[in-house]
Amino acid sequence: MTGYIIRRMLGVIPVMMVVGIFVFSLLHLAPGDPAAIIAGDNATAESIAKIRSNLGLDRPLLEQFASWGLATLRGDLGVSIFTQIPVLTLVGQRVGATISLAATTMLVAVTIAVTLGVLAAWKAGSLLDRAVMGLAVTGFSVPVFVVGYILVYFVALQWRWLPVQGYVALSEGLWPWLRQLILPSIALGLAYVALIARITRASMLDVLAEDYIRTASAKGVATVPMLLRHALKNAAVPIVTVIGIGVALLISGVVITETVFNIPGVGRLVVDAISRRDYPVIQGVMIIFAGVYVLINLLVDISYSFFDPRIRYS
Amino acid sequence: MTSSRRTVLTAGMAAAALVTVGAPHVARAQARPARQARMVPHGDLNVLDPIWTTQNMAAYHGAMMYDTLFGIDANFNPQPQMVGKTDISADRRTYTFELRPGLKWHDGTPVTARDCVASLRRWQAKDGAGTHLFARVADTPVVDEKTFRIVLKEPYGLLIDALAKTSTPVCFMMKAEIAATDPNTQITRHIGSGPFKFVEAEYRQGSRVVYERNPDYVPRSEPASGIAGGKRVLLDRVIWDIMPDAQTAASALQAGEVDFFEVPPIELLPALSSAPGVKVEVFNKFGNVGYCRLNHLHPPFNNLSARRAAQLAINQEDIQRAAVGNPAYYQVCGSNFTCGSPMGMEDGAEVLMLKSPMAERQAKARELLKQSGYDGKPLVLLHATNIHVMNQTMLVIAQNLRQVGFNVQLASTDWGAVVTRRSNQNPPDQGGWNVFFTWGGGNATSNPIALSAHAANGKTAWFGWPDNPQTEQMRTEWSAAPTLEARVAVIRRLNRHMFDYVHDVKTGQWVGPVAYRGDRLRGLIQVPEVIPWWNVERYA
Amino acid sequence: MTQDTPATGAAVRDFLRRHPTMVIGASMLLFITLAALLAPWIARDPILLEPVNRLKPPSADFWLGTDSLGRDVYARMVYGARISLLVGLSVAVISILCGSVIGLLAGYFSKVDAVVMRLMDGIMAIPSILLAIALVALLGSSVQVVIIAIAIPEIPRVTRLVRAVVLSVRDLPYVEAARSNGTRVAKLLRRHVLPSTVAPLIVQATYICASAILTEAGLSFLGAGTPPEIPTWGNMIASSRVFLQIAPWTIFAPGICLALVVLAVNLLGDGLRDRLDPRISRRM
Repeated sequence: MTGYIIRRMLGVIPVMMVVGIFVFSLLHLAPGDPAAIIAGDNATAESIAKIRSNLGLDRPLLEQFASWGLATLRGDLGVSIFTQIPVLTLVGQRVGATISLAATTMLVAVTIAVTLGVLAAWKAGSLLDRAVMGLAVTGFSVPVFVVGYILVYFVALQWRWLPVQGYVALSEGLWPWLRQLILPSIALGLAYVALIARITRASMLDVLAEDYIRTASAKGVATVPMLLRHALKNAAVPIVTVIGIGVALLISGVVITETVFNIPGVGRLVVDAISRRDYPVIQGVMIIFAGVYVLINLLVDISYSFFDPRIRYS
Repeated sequence: MTSSRRTVLTAGMAAAALVTVGAPHVARAQARPARQARMVPHGDLNVLDPIWTTQNMAAYHGAMMYDTLFGIDANFNPQPQMVGKTDISADRRTYTFELRPGLKWHDGTPVTARDCVASLRRWQAKDGAGTHLFARVADTPVVDEKTFRIVLKEPYGLLIDALAKTSTPVCFMMKAEIAATDPNTQITRHIGSGPFKFVEAEYRQGSRVVYERNPDYVPRSEPASGIAGGKRVLLDRVIWDIMPDAQTAASALQAGEVDFFEVPPIELLPALSSAPGVKVEVFNKFGNVGYCRLNHLHPPFNNLSARRAAQLAINQEDIQRAAVGNPAYYQVCGSNFTCGSPMGMEDGAEVLMLKSPMAERQAKARELLKQSGYDGKPLVLLHATNIHVMNQTMLVIAQNLRQVGFNVQLASTDWGAVVTRRSNQNPPDQGGWNVFFTWGGGNATSNPIALSAHAANGKTAWFGWPDNPQTEQMRTEWSAAPTLEARVAVIRRLNRHMFDYVHDVKTGQWVGPVAYRGDRLRGLIQVPEVIPWWNVERYA
Repeated sequence: MTQDTPATGAAVRDFLRRHPTMVIGASMLLFITLAALLAPWIARDPILLEPVNRLKPPSADFWLGTDSLGRDVYARMVYGARISLLVGLSVAVISILCGSVIGLLAGYFSKVDAVVMRLMDGIMAIPSILLAIALVALLGSSVQVVIIAIAIPEIPRVTRLVRAVVLSVRDLPYVEAARSNGTRVAKLLRRHVLPSTVAPLIVQATYICASAILTEAGLSFLGAGTPPEIPTWGNMIASSRVFLQIAPWTIFAPGICLALVVLAVNLLGDGLRDRLDPRISRRM
């Protein structure tokens, strides 16, 4: 088991290198000059050139990549070209908001989706099954920002139940933190309900067809407890897999949601940075995201052994 | 047993999640301090050095925490601000300035003449009007702790106007050791002497900027007017909420979560004005002037007839309708210098044929294009898609040009890519461009010296690089003119001349009202290029 | 040879009854595709702008009103179908093709496998929307670039799927036998491996298509989508969002179409999967 973990962690290194090379080349080959953007509209070409050279942006690309790569390995992700604030500080200021949003969204999505999936699998083939799955898919079919605007228009503006936008840190109170996150997590969560519900339904169906379930059923074990104890537990593996994949998708969805609901998270940080060509911020955040994704997938793989004793790693 | 292991795992993960987002506290009552205001500005504050960049957001920041030697008032006349006594020698070549008493930096040290001279030197290196002025400056001696002089080689009528202007970069005063920073490097410490203090610990780039009242600030005794007069602060905190989405900001204003929305999209104004408590007002009556820049370096626009064809083809009315929509907020203008301003003369506007039907204008334009010998090579139009006015305007310009026979290619990117590509002087098919669009503040555009886009000195001019020695001569004539009447006379000739050789194509003027909670805030001051938060109080 | 026509009729009715999702999905798609193909005949120029006519509500002349530039919303919706469907289909085809080729090679040749899978893991680790925004910033905004930008993040998942099938089939006895007989690799892959991949790939393709159409809308929202001149449902919704309160038709028309197409493709995919997946059909 330990050997497996160590091997997987070593395997992370080439993946991160690929990410680093990819991200760096993408950015530095893209048109767009942070120096021109910082200088503002009234500036002349001469002053822009001076700024560019001051920022070290006119050094050869390989040299810039080498110095960035080495610094990253030391844990130094550089500073924002614009404000000179270290990238890690910027991320640290915003990571709470993104994690809060991601966590509540996952909670909403998993709760609704697993319930729907179990329901659909239990009554597979019936009208309820089709209706439930149809509903799940509809939630996926409308773009997140449209759902967001509609929710805000009715719930926040017309009925005044919840705030329109913004984020309050958990340290300022549980309910203030939660009430800011309700609408965004519903808007974003609906998009994942279909995905998770579908997998839940499929794996539940697999398990329900298994012999030991039919035996338990024949022995007269009541349906609901049986479903929950036996079936769900064994269906957990694929469900957890898709949750792992969902995290990667979630990062993408979070970017849009943070913009619509004005949540100062890491997603917005990097979108703003891309439009300004703030290279160190973009590179740093992409590396961090990639690292998180890889780590979560590792955890997901390890968690398999808890859920399904048949899976063992030598 | 597996179930207990699973319980442990679940509990563990839940606990970890909570710890990650911060220890939960008992919910406290969220009372908003009574004297606080929240504004949604037009952009993000990502550069904190208002001298180093010409970005307007930096100027807003500067106006909060820094102070100026002079400032323009509501009638655009320069008034003393940090300066107490001004003395001008009889030959008009020596200006002596004495600072008024009570001026202190935010770290408690007093403001000295040495600080001011250092700040002036750094500012003039980055500012068009400043550079123009300091080319004629012999020396800036410090006389004593509170007094300094500017000694000129020849009289320069607009000296105080240059120090008082609000077009960027504004002449903010900084401590001598900070102002000693090379003008091409950003400052790293932020210590001002203005009515607000910048709360650096609470600054979140891209999301929030916080200012608090400076209790040690000594305002002038006159009433506030423009950025002149007494800057009395009646709020304890001012918070800027950076919101990327206009729809979200409008909803937040309606729900009372913010108090001031600087650039509500014109389409949202009807909904906002009818919302309870919301007031929609035009603060910056000079608004914005759009200009479509043509590249004078390469074909076809290195040819006068082709430029004239474009000038006729581009339809101001259509552009304004598309970009702004509501006729109450835009106007077609026959001047290169902000209609409605003292310099907004429309001499020479007949060549634009603004009153003629479009079909007639297009016919003439087609004729001119043929005369120019245009070979049909595609024009590269730099199209910024992420800024509404630019997006809409360029789509109309593209159609206008197509309709008279230009072969048009839209290079659709974000504004950042446009800003980079426009500085490329290569031919359009080698990374250059033929046409791009942006706008300038109405106040800055009304001044032939302050706006760098009005210069016509070829390859060192602003993007588009028009080259016309007569224009340059007339600009200098304007700055030397002693009276308002004399300046107007020069402008009339300059305006006609600029249409004649087609310096660039103006696309009309518009004003953008602000929307704010009139049921809570009062005392907002109207001045272009800056949003003052002194004098503003929260009364409900 | 017994009753011909009644049996066919009964078979069709039976098919409809047993696979309603697939049928509904397919018919919706067919209708929209037809409308898209017939666009030049059923709608006027979607690019022609006439600011005088801006934001007019639906009328006899403009069936779905006009947008902020005075362009015909109905025409843009119909032409938009072309681009949205094109984006969806192209992304699906490109990612399936590239992913399959890479997956086949990786699954069969273990030397290639190690390198390729690290590369795929790397691509998967980068959030797809950020990758897409960066690619559009790099290569400029055009329909082709947007298609590539959306397709690239989808390739690794397809690769994994195909690779998994190849791995499971590669060591089967009859495949071993064919290999030792000297059968060429290409023929081996084509005859023994490919057939097992077709079913899951088709299902995956439908999901990729639906997801691509939605991603295009998201990219337009963030300002990194197709150029605004060209109508796509995504950029129609994104550019009209400030008009939610005063001109809702500019958002609802493309929004409903988008939702319907995505729904249709998803239903088709679900139906196909139910049909092609042996486990489910066994239960039914």
